[in-house]
Amino acid sequence: MSTAAVSHGGGIADHIHPEPQGFIRRYVFSIDHKIIGIQYLITGFVFLVLAGLLAEVIRTQLLHANGGFVSADTYNEVYSVHGSAMVWLVIIPLITGGFGNVIMPLQIGARDVAFPWLNMLSFWIFPVAGLMLFSSFLMGAPVAGWTEYPPMSLQAGAGTSMWAAAIFLVGVSSTLTGINFVVTMFQMRAPGMTFTRMPLFCWAQLATAPLLMIATTALAAALAALFMERQFGVPFYDPTKGGSPIMWQHMFWFYSHPAVYIMILPAFGMISEIIPTFARKPIFGYKMIAFSSMAIALAGFMVWAHHMFTSGLAPYLQLPFMILTFTIAIPTGVKIFSWVATLWGGKIHFTTSMMFAVGFLALFTLGGITGIFLAAVPFDLHVHGTYFVVAHFHYVLVGGSLMGIFAGMYFYFPKMSGRLMSEKIGKWHFWLFFIGFNGTFLPQHWLGMLGMPRRVPTYDPQFTFWNQFSSISSYVMTFAILLFFINILVSLRNGKKAGPNPWGARTLEWQIPSPPHYYNFKHIPTVYGLPYDFSQPLPYKGLEEELTDTPVAVGAH
Amino acid sequence: MVENRASAVRLGRGFWSVTLLFAVLSVLAIVFWYWTPIGIVMPVVAAQPGIQIDDLFRFMAASGSALYIFVVGYIIYFAVAFRARKGEPYDSIGVQVHDNHKLEFWWTLIPTLFVVLLSILSVRIWYGIQIAQPANGLVVEGLGHQWYYTFRYPGINGEVTGEMHLPLGQPVVLNVTSSDVIHSFWVPDIRLKADMVPGLVNTIRFTPTRLGKYPIICTEFCGTRHGWMNATIPGANGQPNPGAQFVVIDTPANFQKWYHAWQIKNAHASNALPTASTGTVSLAGGDANAGKALFAQKCSACHAIGPFSQRIVGPGLKGVLHDPSHPNLVDGDPATPADVAKILQQGYKGDIGMMPNATANGLSNKDIANLVAYLKTLK
Repeated sequence: MSTAAVSHGGGIADHIHPEPQGFIRRYVFSIDHKIIGIQYLITGFVFLVLAGLLAEVIRTQLLHANGGFVSADTYNEVYSVHGSAMVWLVIIPLITGGFGNVIMPLQIGARDVAFPWLNMLSFWIFPVAGLMLFSSFLMGAPVAGWTEYPPMSLQAGAGTSMWAAAIFLVGVSSTLTGINFVVTMFQMRAPGMTFTRMPLFCWAQLATAPLLMIATTALAAALAALFMERQFGVPFYDPTKGGSPIMWQHMFWFYSHPAVYIMILPAFGMISEIIPTFARKPIFGYKMIAFSSMAIALAGFMVWAHHMFTSGLAPYLQLPFMILTFTIAIPTGVKIFSWVATLWGGKIHFTTSMMFAVGFLALFTLGGITGIFLAAVPFDLHVHGTYFVVAHFHYVLVGGSLMGIFAGMYFYFPKMSGRLMSEKIGKWHFWLFFIGFNGTFLPQHWLGMLGMPRRVPTYDPQFTFWNQFSSISSYVMTFAILLFFINILVSLRNGKKAGPNPWGARTLEWQIPSPPHYYNFKHIPTVYGLPYDFSQPLPYKGLEEELTDTPVAVGAH
Repeated sequence: MVENRASAVRLGRGFWSVTLLFAVLSVLAIVFWYWTPIGIVMPVVAAQPGIQIDDLFRFMAASGSALYIFVVGYIIYFAVAFRARKGEPYDSIGVQVHDNHKLEFWWTLIPTLFVVLLSILSVRIWYGIQIAQPANGLVVEGLGHQWYYTFRYPGINGEVTGEMHLPLGQPVVLNVTSSDVIHSFWVPDIRLKADMVPGLVNTIRFTPTRLGKYPIICTEFCGTRHGWMNATIPGANGQPNPGAQFVVIDTPANFQKWYHAWQIKNAHASNALPTASTGTVSLAGGDANAGKALFAQKCSACHAIGPFSQRIVGPGLKGVLHDPSHPNLVDGDPATPADVAKILQQGYKGDIGMMPNATANGLSNKDIANLVAYLKTLK
């Protein structure tokens, strides 16, 4: 069938290259988006284990008010690398490079991303940067937290320069991925796949990609300046040489606030796919969910200084940042209400994936509400820099992003491997994780309000009970994550065969074999509507041969 | 019977019953947050405007709990009511509803109105904290160091170490900065916090309302001993923690006693910086125009040409050599050209932080003469 007339660049997309032979070209230096995505997932999960172990060092230190598990200096290094690794080596790569790469091109009916070689480069920068970050332990790791405020970060050991170089490299990787995804989504959608028919996961990636491209450059500039100041004495941040420590904070948060949305928007996207699939009904308010992703991404650029209410912002400047931050609650609320409304009247199947998706709703909503608390300047003046903040962002990043990642893994694992994950282990994983997580982070809200500052290896003895409660719960959470990895390994060997579409999902990736062929689609399909109408026939044409044995004509147009 | 594609979109009795239940639970949550003693989640309030901050917290906690009860309540109710029953075929589908503009309109409008309400409330309390505090308070300066705080009081030479005393009921203007890395000054019982940033002055203002001794806590990571820059931490082996420092709110009479004791103790403490001298500065022949250009280049980042109170980092310098009400900078007498030249030459450990000396500022004797000539013209 002819597609060239209606397709954006359909001629290019229709061309099929022969599959590379040989292990190295297929699985190591691959240019196939699916393999690259899985490489991101594996690498990200390895770093999740390492950074998670660091988290357990933190919680073990805090079992006793006077610490004693590790020295104060080691403790400072541990939480700094824990935070940096979780943000830059775990959540961002998993949720953009990992799921974005595996799923997005399939969902828009493309054969690969726009720049496959660039994609390979993006990936291979990431493990190198990760090794650099962890190797900073060998030379005195950074101590000033993942935010590395100067002048403290100027005083710290040589590892801080290594940290800056590592994060700079991860930033390059993110920026390239962002460019790649934007071009892919603009140029390579299948014919008929208009923006208003695009699955919501792709909308979420479309909102995220500009954040990756634009915000990360600000971080790169800040990191380059930090590196130059530390190594060559160029005074950017040292006030005794005319530098400004506040400049770092502005540059850092100009990136790191949008980075919060980099970490959560793709999770929103996966939730928007999982909930309608298992509720067996259309997503409620497709357009509002898509639009609110864009609104959140745009507004996310205008609120960074709410991290700096105590830093020395001119008082009147606090107001626009406070009020703009409040307004982000509106599109976020719209999303949450739409997901809850999607549950109404459904035929809800509580698979592990769905349980994580619903758990996500409960936990992320709590993190969102405490975010509003923190945006209010008067309250922030009290709790800024305390465990309240720690509790808040773990609800958003673990209760939100990581729960989303787990939901996505249980959902997409069959597509990637051809096998289902064990539901039995999965349910243990969910409940232990959900209970352990709340036990770990819920008490930290009142610990912070009562007076426990963050980034301390010791605390007021009156807080011992809740800290021990938190630490013991964190061991439960860690055990749950161990179950998750066991589940992956067991299911890879012994999982039930999934078939192309085990969940009865309606987006394009489920209409082709699991795992998909190298070229994804034998023929680029034509799209006639939204993928969420469960009462209608599938809105695609040209998929007839996908599940047959018809050989594909390599090199053909 | 399996509900299927054609089923009508309507809300049954179950829905309205649970909605009523959530409404009741929300009211209970609101009552809880307004009637429970705040002490379960907050320390005592020792200063104005702590009460308003607690009020804002109560409002947010009450409305947040109500919202959360509805969201989680509906999730649980829908999860139970609309679960796929055992044996139900997987291809049976839910109610095929795509959207409902009326509902979406309301659930956008209500949060928007809530955001407007919360903004108004927060801005009012913010105004009370940041703007509307009495301007004529006791000005105290807090300086963060690795890993302790020092304080400066008007009329006491040098620095006060250890406890920071404040008189009950008198407004306080606390200006803070740091001598090394970023620290933060937080007294949970006062509810306020300001980062101590080197090269920058941050201000918090409050009025002590409760006698007592309140721990100061550093909340910005500042190095190895950061964790002990916190008065709630006990020291090792039963010793007091050397980093423990408190705000002590005294009766005015006790405050005066403490204040005089420090005045006597610090009578001979110096405010000048030890610096290498550049010799005697001859002020004759200073060129005010050259001084003006130099001022714009070297001084204007920290000093305004305005009244003394117009502070950027250092004070405003209008009338510094003319206005007898201009505060006395060096030795208690009205500033003379020689005094100003001396400050320019040697630097000054001033109210707040440091004014760099002539070496750091790159000023020659001639430059100093020109600057003094220019400052004389500011009336």
